[in-house]
Amino acid sequence: MLEFLSRLEILLNPTVLGQVIVNGISLSAIYILVALGFTLLFGIMRVVNFAHGEFAMLGAFAFYHLTKDLNWPWMIALPAGVIGVAAASLVLEWLVFRWFYQRMFESMIGLLGLNMMLIYGGVLLWDTHERNIPAASQEVLMVGDIIIPIDRLIVVVIALAALSAFYLFIRHTRAGLAMRAAAQDVETAETQGVDTRYIYKVAFFVAILLAALAGSLWGQIYAVSPHLGERPLMMAFIVVILGGMGSIPGAALGGALLGFTESIVGTAFGAAASAFLSFGVVIVLLVFRPWGILGTPEN
Amino acid sequence: MQSRIWIEGAATREVQHMSFELMKSLRAGLIGGVVFAASSFAVLAQETLKIGGLGPLSGGGTSWGLAAQRGMDLAINDLNAAGGITAGGKTYKLELVFYDDLYSAQGGKAAAERLVHQDKIKYIVGPVGSPPALAAISVTNPAKVIALTNGYAPGVLKNDTPDPYNFRLYNTNLEFGPPIIKWIRESLKDIKKIGLLAPNDAVGQAVAKPLAEDYKKEGFEVILDFFERGTKEFTPLILRMMAQKVDAFEFDGNSPGDAGLMLKQIRQAGFRGKVFQVGGPAVDEIIEIAGPASEGFMTYDFVDWDMPKAKLLREAYQAKYGKGIISPFMPAFYHGVYLMAEAIKRADSIETDKVRSALENIDGFDIGIYGPVKWIGKETYGVNRQLMMQYFFSEVKGGKIVKIKKFTP
Amino acid sequence: MTQATRITWGVLAAVVLVVWPWLTDDRFLHHVGVLIMLTAIGASSLHLIIRTGHVSLCHAAFMAFGAYGSVLTVMSLGLPFPIGLLVGTGAAALLAATIGPIVLRLTGKYFVLITFLFGEVVRMAIVENVALTGGSNGIFNVPPPHPIFLDTRAYYYLALAFAVFAVGLCARILGSEFGRAMNAIRDGERLAECSGVPVIRFKVIVFIIACALAGMQGSLMAHYNKVLSPENFSGIISLNLVVMNVIGGMSSLWGALIGAVFMVMLPELLRGYVNIQHIIFGAILFATMAFMPGGIIEAARRVKALLSAKPDASAPPLARAGAAE
Repeated sequence: MLEFLSRLEILLNPTVLGQVIVNGISLSAIYILVALGFTLLFGIMRVVNFAHGEFAMLGAFAFYHLTKDLNWPWMIALPAGVIGVAAASLVLEWLVFRWFYQRMFESMIGLLGLNMMLIYGGVLLWDTHERNIPAASQEVLMVGDIIIPIDRLIVVVIALAALSAFYLFIRHTRAGLAMRAAAQDVETAETQGVDTRYIYKVAFFVAILLAALAGSLWGQIYAVSPHLGERPLMMAFIVVILGGMGSIPGAALGGALLGFTESIVGTAFGAAASAFLSFGVVIVLLVFRPWGILGTPEN
Repeated sequence: MQSRIWIEGAATREVQHMSFELMKSLRAGLIGGVVFAASSFAVLAQETLKIGGLGPLSGGGTSWGLAAQRGMDLAINDLNAAGGITAGGKTYKLELVFYDDLYSAQGGKAAAERLVHQDKIKYIVGPVGSPPALAAISVTNPAKVIALTNGYAPGVLKNDTPDPYNFRLYNTNLEFGPPIIKWIRESLKDIKKIGLLAPNDAVGQAVAKPLAEDYKKEGFEVILDFFERGTKEFTPLILRMMAQKVDAFEFDGNSPGDAGLMLKQIRQAGFRGKVFQVGGPAVDEIIEIAGPASEGFMTYDFVDWDMPKAKLLREAYQAKYGKGIISPFMPAFYHGVYLMAEAIKRADSIETDKVRSALENIDGFDIGIYGPVKWIGKETYGVNRQLMMQYFFSEVKGGKIVKIKKFTP
Repeated sequence: MTQATRITWGVLAAVVLVVWPWLTDDRFLHHVGVLIMLTAIGASSLHLIIRTGHVSLCHAAFMAFGAYGSVLTVMSLGLPFPIGLLVGTGAAALLAATIGPIVLRLTGKYFVLITFLFGEVVRMAIVENVALTGGSNGIFNVPPPHPIFLDTRAYYYLALAFAVFAVGLCARILGSEFGRAMNAIRDGERLAECSGVPVIRFKVIVFIIACALAGMQGSLMAHYNKVLSPENFSGIISLNLVVMNVIGGMSSLWGALIGAVFMVMLPELLRGYVNIQHIIFGAILFATMAFMPGGIIEAARRVKALLSAKPDASAPPLARAGAAE
């Protein structure tokens, strides 16, 4: 017990605590962006998109090429790359995804196939070494004893803006309303005049947009390679189980929980403890409340 | 823009090449694999000598395997362009057969079984990692097949195999660790406590513990933490070490991409002390990822791109595979093929017993990349099967890697 | 199929399985034979669990218990291989008996998720526990069950014997009263419960048997590979076993066996062209799930129905197959 408390003591240091918080926010923001799209596809189309991480990878590469090869300023390259990837992915929606709508089990395995095609297609095209997207800023902000890297701050601001935009879209537009209706009950939504084929496309576009944005931000603070998508997918997967599959507020809550757990437990107790804890908690949760913290049980 | 077009061109060429080869292998596989009894169809052209290669071409280690494959490919092209190799009065063209070892024991065994027993290959370079290397040598040694493996686990050389046919292709940290650490103690006097961050994969676990021991022997205090492979956010671990007042960080055992990220995050966390790695020589990729944060980073390094042959090799690589980052595994495997070819020439035979004794006596051989090489290892492993080549301790200055200390075997 | 033709086919198959290794000296083909036999144990035992309506993504964790249990018994305690095999199999069964009653209460996607996470935890525990398991570098110089089995052909017969035992056990279970109760559970759990089937106890028994077989495969695999490392028990391996069942077809045990043969052979056929091997594999997975979710078995049935112009060919393929059994 004493050992336990002495390890927590690290967190009392204001420099460390400040970094732990900034770090927790930026990790959470990225996990939430990936998880939202994942949970949206599941909630509306009953598709478990195991290729979701690869759209983050494509977003990161688009951002990389636009900034590094075409020398676009990142304020233009980021939205252009993200929208470009989401638009181009509509081809994949037509070729691949539409076969799996409302077929949960088939979608898991089939999209795992797409996942492999995208990763190894990426390896052929881009090779496997890691690349760097030049940081928007190399500076750090000093607030008292707390050090905040500016590029992290930018990531947090962009992610928060995207999350707010998503919230407004889902809450206050007709398409958003139709999506919420479809997520609750597709058949009823159809009888009420919701064009599900159209709604699926919109939902797909939005989900990929969020993933590609998460990937670009990830690439900006970490690195870009064809294997980039694996970690965000894994995290999104855990976040979504934690929050409840198909639940949008659940994804937000799950992302925040996981991001802060990683940051706080990792700092105080090391990496292995943080990994075991997040897995352990999710397993226990699944046993007692399989539908997640904010999900609703299915009959 | 130009480089983009180039990348696409290269990829198309590669895909075309591969799909042609795929047809070949599919056909070979259908004959050899589906009809079980058909292995006798494998007819070798008289003047072809196949060299086997093993490395991971999927999963997290893909970049190592690709580098190995490309290094071997370039070496074989160069040797063939120079007229092939002559032994026992015959001239042989070399041909590369490279298989994925999946970076696992099972994958290494399967790939080695196929090279040895189906392709009837007698000379193998690889695998890269310890688990596939340990599995592969359990196949190659009984079949008297020469294997130049990597794999840092001491068991690759130190085992109870009688009369082994496997060698290790380049220095491991058991060899270069102690001399460099001694140099660090003598030259960087204010370092007392070192924070060591390593992944809990095969490389990290094999490398980090002995390295920590080496540091302790020289009187350093070491804090060691392992993390799950795939982690990209190291700040929590870095903060934890900084709170324990480390004077320097050490990264050996990490992939270059992860090392680059750690370096960046260490500087962003406000650490101003020394950061180095005694091992893991892929500096270019670290500089690419860490950017300006790589200034002052110090590392073990064993490729001197200013050597005459190394320069040519780099140009040949870039012409064929693009101007991307070159992994140090590429020249190492290039070198491996040359070692094998030289031993065959000296033995004037393609019988593995003769080639093995020629290989054992190859000390002093120099192709102009690593300087003269030498077998060591009797004291550590019980066999003189560990290749030693020159190595350096280098520092990043102005975005470029500068050699500050040279060690010769 | 009449009884007589069945017996004829059975004898023919047995002869082929026993005789073919002597038609070639290519040790690599013998090696592929060993892999197919051992993989068939894993695939068919997973098929048992799938037939109760659960898709498990932690089958490799039980293989790991079998493998490490057996190897540690033999190498650390110096006991002979048969005891190692029993300890490994028993360890896997014990683990299944412990977690089975908890996880089998979850259905559908929740079961998939929890087994996936459980498999990861087991793998991480192996990686972290360096003193016992050798960590990521694993354990090497694992002895063969007996020096005779250093010969791949000999090992093939050992693997064949165990595969026949495992697959036979699975077929026996599926064909018994027990198997019919399993089908009833899968088709309607509540209904089965109402008609007096003790659903959970049933599922746990099936789970324990299947996982014990997986442990047996792990032990045989470890003593064959001679090296044991945690990569061989990662989530990918569990997933591959699911993919075998899916590609072969989940409706019958034959699907699992066909899938095992397919999945062992495919990488060998594509091995020369590793860089696009994964792309092709991905495309096969996608196409199977999108257009042929019943797997190779269902495709074969359709083709057969098209070819034979019998009047009953118009009946739904699954129904006909069910009637034939």
